[in-house]
Amino acid sequence: MEAYLGIDVGSVTTKLAMLDKNDELVASLYLLTEGKPIEMVQQGLKQIKQQLPEDVDICGVATTGSARYLAGVIVGADLVKNEITSHSVATLQYLPEAQTIIEIGGQDSKIIIIRDGVVIDFGMNTVCAAGTGSFLDHQALRLNMSIEEFSRRALASDTTVRIAGRCTVFAESDMIHKQQMGHRTEDILYGLCQALVRNYLNNVGLGKDIKSPVVFQGGVAFNQAIVKAIQEELNIQIIVPPHHEIMGAIGAALLVHEELLNNNNGSKFKGFGVSEVKYHTSSFQCKACPNLCEIAQLSLNGQVLARWGGRCDLWERSPSS
Amino acid sequence: MIRIGIPRALLYYEYYPVWKRFFEELGAEVVVSPPTTQDMMVSGSSRVVADTCLPVKVFLGHVLYLVGKCDYIFIPAIRSVKSKVYNCSKFLGLPDMTNAVIPESPPILDMDVDVNKGKRKLYQAIYQLGRHFTWNPFKVRQASLAAWQAHLNYHELMSSHNLTPPQAIEIISGIPEAEANSSYLSSTRATIAIIGHPYLLYDEHINHRFISRLEQAHNRVLTPEMLSAEELQLATARLVGRAYWTYEEEVVGAGGHYLQNGVDGIIGIMAFGCGPDSLMMDMVRRQASRLKTTPFMSLTLEEHTAEAGIVTRLEAFLDMIYRKRRIQAESCR
Repeated sequence: MEAYLGIDVGSVTTKLAMLDKNDELVASLYLLTEGKPIEMVQQGLKQIKQQLPEDVDICGVATTGSARYLAGVIVGADLVKNEITSHSVATLQYLPEAQTIIEIGGQDSKIIIIRDGVVIDFGMNTVCAAGTGSFLDHQALRLNMSIEEFSRRALASDTTVRIAGRCTVFAESDMIHKQQMGHRTEDILYGLCQALVRNYLNNVGLGKDIKSPVVFQGGVAFNQAIVKAIQEELNIQIIVPPHHEIMGAIGAALLVHEELLNNNNGSKFKGFGVSEVKYHTSSFQCKACPNLCEIAQLSLNGQVLARWGGRCDLWERSPSS
Repeated sequence: MIRIGIPRALLYYEYYPVWKRFFEELGAEVVVSPPTTQDMMVSGSSRVVADTCLPVKVFLGHVLYLVGKCDYIFIPAIRSVKSKVYNCSKFLGLPDMTNAVIPESPPILDMDVDVNKGKRKLYQAIYQLGRHFTWNPFKVRQASLAAWQAHLNYHELMSSHNLTPPQAIEIISGIPEAEANSSYLSSTRATIAIIGHPYLLYDEHINHRFISRLEQAHNRVLTPEMLSAEELQLATARLVGRAYWTYEEEVVGAGGHYLQNGVDGIIGIMAFGCGPDSLMMDMVRRQASRLKTTPFMSLTLEEHTAEAGIVTRLEAFLDMIYRKRRIQAESCR
């Protein structure tokens, strides 16, 4: 069976998606990155292999997400693509008439504006993580509940409690204040969802022309309370696609398939065996100039595979030296 | 020979040739700090008063580098270079602020430039500056005329030959021109205009080699300096009427011009915490969304050492342009 693999290594989760030659999803995985991107990619490969038939032939591999370059070296990717392009390609495959994509992930959030099947504008959050999943995670943890329970209880809210959403730190103190005043937890939780959505629309969505159909994807789309809050805020019905959490990986797989149709020199995929080898990462300070860049390197059996982090391409140019 | 230190930051890119010529005509030697390094950024940041912007931190880093390497440091207070057009307060107070936070600095040659106060005040200021070198007012006058000519030549060189300030300064200084652009132009994928202040666009350290990255991906890069003063003025007038900020034209004028002149995309670069920039970029963004013809993206620079944010946005922006073109070409077929 001919197959194309997309790997999306995000800050919080690692996603894998396998498509067949008709671009149908045949296998997928959703794992927590747990700060160990290399191990998670290896584990992901091992696990996804079990979902596949014996005769699978990996014709192309693409990586995306914030660890896309690292993951690309490990698996031998044919294509390394940014998250914006991957997400939009996957969404357009699923819903060609989509005009807006809202994607909220663990550490970052994006908005992609599409007209006539072409991306015409996009936005990403700046360094602030106030409008993202990790903020919700953190608050759920503080209230000692799972994120699933968070979502369920927030939906049960019947009155609005307004929480300041501009900054995570202020949102938290606002939330505590509301708790101490005796507001119901359900209402506070939903207030938090509304704050996150307001923050997202006012920062990432600032000046963007949001038009229906709006597709909402990324891990946070699991949270029904957020879905409800976005709908209320925009006054538009939003669509959460099936497999919304792995759209980036699907997009990467679609892109590598497309790429290899144009020029196929065979895949650089290193095989499922890479999940067994021991990669070694280390870093050092380059002293070639006063910039003192921190260079990170990935090596296998003492041989350096890749280096990153320089302000110039001194180390990237010569990984073997 | 008296050595005059000039920090390679802020208004250096705008006025270096005029300053250099003026001091050299008066018999002084000019010492310029090298391109920004991490060291300068860290040392500059450690000295600033709270809540100052990244370009000022970098400027102070350059001043610190020059300590001990020159007899004077030249830091003019450029208040206004056009009638009723004002500069950011950080430029107005630059000599005083530097003096306050870097007490070990060599004596600062200060000069007030404010055309609102009339020509006489300006001439007086130039003469005051020249008096550090000569008592002869005619010599100062000659030096300033030669310097002004150097300034006009510099800007003419950039707009007529499509050069960036660092390229033009190299030519003026007689450094043989590196064959930079030409090799990329043969296989250009897209033409991208970048807008913003020169101290952000050409400081490769703080912008993470932004222009080089675009060129290495085979894109042609256009910058505000490649437009003539008339083109910038006209576009600014069309967009906002009268400019309020001194360096508004290189953002609003350049943005307005390139929006209507068939580039494939425009990228605005601004500094985190810059008030004027946030207003000016917004003008361009609004115009871009009104016209809907040219994609526009703005990037905010700060002290971040990680370049991932910039790289991801740049890749996504270029992909957007390439894919759009390909899909449109396919649908025409």
